[in-house]
Amino acid sequence: MADMTLAISEATFQKSFDTMIKNIRWEAQDSTDWGAFSAGYHVKGHLQGGSIDLRADNTLRVDEVDIRWDMLEFTLGLDIPKICVGGGCIDLPWPLPDLCLPEFCLFKADPDVSITVDLSPFVAQEVSFEGGIATRYYDASQPPPAGFDPCALLRDVLVNNSIIDPFPANNQWHVYIIPGTVDIDLFDFADIVGDLIENALTAAVTALIPGGWVRDLLLAIIGSVADLIRWVLDIPDEIDEWLSDLFNVSFGLLDLLVQVVLTFFGVCVPVYRIDDPFPVMDAKTTTALRLDQAPVTLVPVALPVRNLNVAITDLELVLQADIGA
Amino acid sequence: MPFTDHSDIYAAVHEKGINTVVRHLMRQRPSLFNYATPFFHQYPKLFCNPIEAAPTVLQAGNPLFTEVEPLPIYGAPIPIGVNFCLQLTDAEIDFHPGNIVRLPAELGKLASQHLAIRLKACVGLDCPPTEWIERMLPAIERLLVEQQKLAIGEVKEQTGSPRLSTGAVSDRGAAELAGPEARELFNSRSIVIRDDLGKLSVPARGIVVLPTRELTCFCLELFAVAHFEWGSVPGSTQPWLKTRLDGLEIVDLAPTPMENAIECYLSTVLRLGILPQVIVPMEKLIFDVTSVLEEQGLSVSQSITLQPAEVPADVPDNPAIEQDELRAFVRLKITGGS
Repeated sequence: MADMTLAISEATFQKSFDTMIKNIRWEAQDSTDWGAFSAGYHVKGHLQGGSIDLRADNTLRVDEVDIRWDMLEFTLGLDIPKICVGGGCIDLPWPLPDLCLPEFCLFKADPDVSITVDLSPFVAQEVSFEGGIATRYYDASQPPPAGFDPCALLRDVLVNNSIIDPFPANNQWHVYIIPGTVDIDLFDFADIVGDLIENALTAAVTALIPGGWVRDLLLAIIGSVADLIRWVLDIPDEIDEWLSDLFNVSFGLLDLLVQVVLTFFGVCVPVYRIDDPFPVMDAKTTTALRLDQAPVTLVPVALPVRNLNVAITDLELVLQADIGA
Repeated sequence: MPFTDHSDIYAAVHEKGINTVVRHLMRQRPSLFNYATPFFHQYPKLFCNPIEAAPTVLQAGNPLFTEVEPLPIYGAPIPIGVNFCLQLTDAEIDFHPGNIVRLPAELGKLASQHLAIRLKACVGLDCPPTEWIERMLPAIERLLVEQQKLAIGEVKEQTGSPRLSTGAVSDRGAAELAGPEARELFNSRSIVIRDDLGKLSVPARGIVVLPTRELTCFCLELFAVAHFEWGSVPGSTQPWLKTRLDGLEIVDLAPTPMENAIECYLSTVLRLGILPQVIVPMEKLIFDVTSVLEEQGLSVSQSITLQPAEVPADVPDNPAIEQDELRAFVRLKITGGS
């Protein structure tokens, strides 16, 4: 039996996942002006749906998380040089007053022409992926692998850009997330069509019937029909995901590319590090140990960590570790 | 059977792990477990049990023990003390079922949901040699006469010697009074003692430490049985987690009435003095995840908390002491929001 055990149930993962999905929202906007041309964007989105599943093969799967765009506006602007006609004054001799002509200008605004397109009703993504968790021991005394080490190269790049800390001089336990298959639908056709139909029908019914149980009933029916349409249209993607899961490989160029990149990162870059020995009491300076009140700096207390292991079953994630002698 | 069949989160620590942590603590912070007079810096071999320290402690030059004043000789006209040491040499915990700590018969078999603790402490006390006591005695008697602290009351004898008082001056005076042996004992600024162990000098802090050749050591083993329970505190509406002492036994202490008296005193100290201070209210066991997330910049509309699983609705005992482990069962509660 391990010295320490921590277990988290699948239901806890699901509850935490649902909460996270409900609360993750983002918004960004920016614009740039190149003189004659300008461009800008204003995007706002949130996550929706999805589920998380712990599986008996030591992996977990996040299934069909929808990326929804509340606003996906892109603006292009054109600033046409101002053209003015008229204007100017003619000096007439006294006692006649000066004669000033009115000026008419075109393209005074900046930009003069602006086109904004909101793509949010037509764009939706869906992401699914599965992966496992692995722990490895980093022995600082071991020399790096001979020859070309792609992992070291990747880590150096990340360290040089201050994205991760370098590997330390002391031993550590490293926790890695090893990605499996990835399925990214850049255009979630089923949801796009389903949303368009549902929105159109809902708007029509709401306009025709201002309120009451009949309207509610019709809206409920529309929702169910839209869900059915989404489900039917999503069948090809479900088959694609099922096959990916079965053969443990991502289909599609983008999915395969993302899987390769994530696997490279997953294998090379730990997501969590635990020092070995693990400090439990900090160094401390005290005057209480000597009768002459001379200050003494005590070394930190650290515990050796052994057999750190993370296991996933279909019911829970279990983290176990021993304290070394 | 899964760990989380009765809760959302399960955490357990095995008795083996706790005992290993205690051993590491003893080796890496020996000053928490060893107390002795400064004399032991020069003569660490005189400790009742050799102090095992981790190499990091020795390399850093950390003290192996906490310095304490010598044990005073009450009634002496000047502050005199003897060297001693107190060492906590063993500390073990044993969760039900008992298989590490062999409880004495007085405490019986370790009951379900209970834990046993074994502590072993050794005390080493200097017994000053008779020849040293006899050598010091004239100076002590002279000082008592000077200070008029005799049991018979005031004595009007005039010695003709300089008047003595306690402190550095009195030390010098006593040395003059008692001859060369005492001169070695009472030096004005520091106490220099020559004995079989050689010459040693202890900085004077207003106390004369008698020379030490060897310590008389004895060790005592203390066993205790305890358990956790939830209960109320008058005036509070929330439940409190309390540690309850069920029994305490000091082994091989005689005579029996003295053993009983000491055990009763220690039990009372624990029950009324120490354990009531470590009761924990439920609110301290509830971990507010929402505020932690907000500190990390993620605002959530729900209230997310981790709190102990309810007893007995969720689990029969929480924390539970079973199968050599201390186990905690936690519920994740998400409330509010849409």
